[in-house]
Order: sequence, then structure tokens, then C-alpha cells
Amino acid sequence: MTTMRAGDLDLEVLRRGLGAPILLLHGVNPVSPLAPFVDLLAEHGTVIAPSLPGFGASPRPPDFDTVYDLVNVCHDILDAIPDEKVTVVGFSFGGWIAAELAVAAPRKLDRLILVDPVGIKIGPRDQRDFAHFFNTAPDELNRRGWHDPSRRPDGVYALGWQATISDAMTDAEMITLARNWDSLCLYGWKPHMYNPRLADWLRRIAVPTLVLWGENDRVVPVDYGRAYAGLIPGARFETIAHAGHQPELEQPRAFVDRVVRFLTAEAPR
Amino acid sequence: MKTNMELWNHCENPYPFVPAEVLDAAEAVRASLPSQYCDPEVAARLYDEVFEEYQLCDDIGLHIVTNEHHSGINNLWAASPVITGIVARLTKKVRILSLGTLITVRPDPVRVATEYATIDVVSRGRLDIGFVKSGATEMVSGDANPMRIREREWEAIDLIEKALTTHDGPFNWEGKFFSHAHVNVWPRPYQQPRPEFWAATSDMPTCAELGRRGIINTLLFGGYDRTRQAFETYKRARAEAGLSRPKEDRFSYMAFCFVGDTDEEAMRIGQKIPWFLTVSMKSAPQMSKFLPGQIAPEMAPAAWRGGASKRPTNLSVEALIAQGQMFAGNPDTVVKQIKEFRRRVGGVGRIIMMTRQGLVTHAEAMKSFNLAAREVLPQLQGLDPIEDDAVMTAAAR
Repeated sequence: MTTMRAGDLDLEVLRRGLGAPILLLHGVNPVSPLAPFVDLLAEHGTVIAPSLPGFGASPRPPDFDTVYDLVNVCHDILDAIPDEKVTVVGFSFGGWIAAELAVAAPRKLDRLILVDPVGIKIGPRDQRDFAHFFNTAPDELNRRGWHDPSRRPDGVYALGWQATISDAMTDAEMITLARNWDSLCLYGWKPHMYNPRLADWLRRIAVPTLVLWGENDRVVPVDYGRAYAGLIPGARFETIAHAGHQPELEQPRAFVDRVVRFLTAEAPR
Repeated sequence: MKTNMELWNHCENPYPFVPAEVLDAAEAVRASLPSQYCDPEVAARLYDEVFEEYQLCDDIGLHIVTNEHHSGINNLWAASPVITGIVARLTKKVRILSLGTLITVRPDPVRVATEYATIDVVSRGRLDIGFVKSGATEMVSGDANPMRIREREWEAIDLIEKALTTHDGPFNWEGKFFSHAHVNVWPRPYQQPRPEFWAATSDMPTCAELGRRGIINTLLFGGYDRTRQAFETYKRARAEAGLSRPKEDRFSYMAFCFVGDTDEEAMRIGQKIPWFLTVSMKSAPQMSKFLPGQIAPEMAPAAWRGGASKRPTNLSVEALIAQGQMFAGNPDTVVKQIKEFRRRVGGVGRIIMMTRQGLVTHAEAMKSFNLAAREVLPQLQGLDPIEDDAVMTAAAR
């Protein structure tokens, strides 16, 4: 891990590979260097995975408490990347940030990939679109978040991570997870993990977009993903078999294949 | 100067009638227990009983505390200002403390100020206002962000105070957590400049701030050491700010309490009270140790590692008494326990008795209140000052 200067913040960042930049916006925890998809993806470009403010070792300024703050930090991150064209990949919570970023149409944004994102409200007002991240029992989230929970890479923590902690972890790991969880809550507790206005503005996304979904995601259902993609002009929607909420962790090869196929395809319009 | 201690009666109006198999199967007995298990006929009877207990308190000189918790078996009050408003009209003499409505959960502190000002007028100036940060399940049942509740609580208190004490037309509030362009509370409070403020906390930075503001600090079941530490923090913060030494009436303590004719009777009935700890606090991990904002991240390893448990281990009446968390016995025994507690914590002026708790019945509670008022309270008047006041001596040096 190194750091990158974004605006007036020094953010922790994981960098791998060479070539065109692929900016990863993480989900409930920063992208782990132990996740096998990182090296696979780095064969096709420069993976840049910053820890957003309040996550990992990145500081959170005292007044930061909204997704608006995070989206503006992401604009700073894009500015800090010297290349003219950047692909942005957002996972889960980070998919929400990536969608907000793309709505603002930053000049450098080349292509957008959303992986099991949250961030919009589409269903009836008295029904959840997806499981509550904080009020659901960790065992339940862990069960619903994976097609097969035993496929979780060692040392990698996804939604429902509380069910997978062990006494063998270091204090530092636990402290980081606790801090990540606090920050996620600060940004996303209410409305729970969505911006009530975002769905109406997804039409502003003007870059080629791929929405990828774990076929067996029982935290954020596939139908939500299909509807999400339907709101983005020209977006492709694809599912990955034998994967839950984190297809990049559960099916790293299939995930990277889909990403690479999308990045190397002719622009669809 | 002599100290005249006060006794206050706090009842949470518990609902201990849900079948054990339902409670055993539930992930939590607060926040997520379905209301199908609350029979409104039973609830109505419980309200009648506790209001009758409060009317007895008014007759015999025990002050009254209400509070609120939500969606669970431990507390039927649910809306402290509603209950406090009823008590204001049912009673004539004693003071009434709302401890309190959950200001970290309520979206509009101006509305809270309006409710309290109304109650103060209805009661003709007998209201005290208490502030609490709220427990973890309350963040879930109130759908309030559990992060930053300490900052949110202080901003709410500041806004409520300004709303209660501003009488020259609307003012504007644009804070971090709350905004209101036209604050103008009618009626204004009966008490001037405002009703007394209390806060329930053992969080040391908060105790220090209470000290600087002169707000009454009440500890809930803190035991000897933590209570003493909290009160010392309060006193030290005042001394360091160059403020006057606080009187004992700035300090309060809530404990389980049962006064019987004999020690044996009190111990037997007192054993019904720890239901509060053994049954009514069952919570799910996502609503307790994994709820964000409950502990500093640095404390997570101690809280999460195997075997770590905050649950008390010994809940016998004897153990609770030994820890200073329960006063129980015949009147003389209870007097002795309260005086010993007062000595060991460096002075406390207001004891809040939690008596109608757990499986204690209406008749048992009425008996304890009568004994407390007639035989305990008189022995807690005209007490000599506490000699051993290490903090102030140290601060004076």
C-alpha cells in the first residue's frame, strides 16, 4: 500500500500493474491486496484502489459525513491521476459512489463498471430493495452475500464480515474493520444506502457502462441490478454464475474476463 | 451545610408477560420483537397501576421519574413527554423528571422544547428535563444514525435550551445536525429561566461538560467506583474552569431498590428485579457489539474476542447490593446502604429508586414506596457533609 494525494487528503492506495488506469471504488471494506482478482486485473492495466476517507488507513476529515463528500473526493482522485482516460469500477457501496460520479460526467471518465451496486430506490415504499447492512444479523448477511461462503479468500472481509472474524486476527485488523464499519454507517445509514434522487439522474451517464451482478446475490437481488442497468442509457447488464454480492471475490477469473471483454470491445455507440 | 437527600421513583413500566419460548427464540427482546406479543388490555392495566403508584408518590413525597424505550418488553412508556404530561396533571406536589425523551433519535429539538414547556406550565413549574444519549437498540428502533450521537446530543441540548429561554420573538438555528428558521416556543416555561436540566451518563468527557454547565449528573447502576470517578470528573472540570464547588444536589444515582418490613422480605422480593438484566436486555449482535458508533474502534478487539462479554455475571440480590447497584432490606438497612453509598462516592443528593421492575407486583411496589417515604426518607435529612472529598482538596492545592 502507498498513498496518493487527492485534493488536500493523503489517501491509502493499492496500486498494481501497468497501462491504462482502472480506478476501483471499494465496497464495505477497502480492496484487499489478498484478493486474487487484483493481480488478474493488473495484467490488463494499472489498478488504482484508494481507501476512501474513513476506510483503511485513510483519514476522515471531522466534518465528512455524506456521500456528497465522497463523490467530491473521487473527483479529486480523478484529477490526481495523470492519464486523460480512466475506467471506474465500483463495488457495492462503491458502486453507488461510482454512479454518482458518472452522473456528474467528469471529463476523464472513459468507461464505467458497476458491480452489484446500491444507491437507488426503485421498489415499493414499504419494501426493502435490498437487505439492511446494519440491522441484519451478520450470519444472515454472510450467508446471503456469497454463493458459497467457503470460497471467501483468506484474510478478505466482505459484507457479513462480523460472522467471519476470529481470535486469530490481529488487533490492528479488528480496529480497521471497526473503523470501516463506523465510516460506512456515517455515510450510509439513512436513507439506508441510497440517494432518493439518483435513479432519476442515471440518464445523465454518458459513457459506456457495464452493470455486472453475481447471479446468486441474495443481499442485493439480480432484479434490482437489471432495473439499475435499465436506467443507464445503453448500459449492458451481465450476470456471473456461482457468485453472490462479491463476484470479484468469488469468481475472480470470470469477473476479470467480463471486465476485459468490455474494456476491449468497440464502444457500443 | 446539612444535606437533605431526595428519593425519586423511577418505573420503566416493563411488560414481563411474553412467553419465555418466544423470548428465547427471538434475536432481541427490544427493537425487533413483534407487537403481537403486547396485549393492549394488559398494557392498559399496567398504565393504570403505575399511574396509581405515581399518585401515591405525590401524596407521600417521593419525586417521579419517567423515561422511554421502544419496541420491547422492558418499557411501555415509549413517549416520555406524553407520559410526563399525564403525570403532571395527576399529581400536585412532587417534582417530575423526564429522563428523558431520546433527543438523539428525535428529528426536531424545537418540538421537544415545546412539549417540555407545555408540561412545565401544566405542572405549574414541577418539571425537570433529563437528557440521555440512547442505547444501541434505540438507534435501530428509532432509525437514527448511531454515529456522532454525542455531538448530536449536545447540539440538541443547546437548541432546546435556547428555545426555552428566548422570549423576544423567533430566532434562527443553522447547526450541523439541526436547522430551524423560526424558533418561537409557546407557551414559555413556567419556571424561569428554565426547568432544571439533568443528564444520565458515565462517559467521562460528558461528565466533565455537565460539570462545566452545572447540569445534574445521574449515574445508572454505576456502582461505587465508576460513580465516584464520574462525580470526581464533574467536580474537577468545575474546579479547573474556576467555577464554584458543586452542591450535592448536582449528583444523582439510580439503583434497584426494595424496602420491606424485614431484610428477608426485601431480599425475596428484590430477587424479582434482576429480570431487567437477565431477560429484558437480550439483544442481537448487530444491535449491540457490532452496531457502529458504540465503542471507539480501538476498543473493538476487547469487545469482539471470544469470551468477551459485557453481561454481568452475578445477579443475585446480595451481589447487586455489594456492588452498590441495589438498595434492599428493611428501612434501617436501606438507610445504612444509601448512607454508605453517599460516603463512598463523595456525596450524592438524589437517589432514584427503580422498584417496580421485572416481576415486582403493583402491591409490592406500593408497599416499598410507603416504607421508603415514611421510614427511609426522614433518616436521610440533615446529613453532615462528606468529609472525604479528595478531589476538591486536590484541586484546591
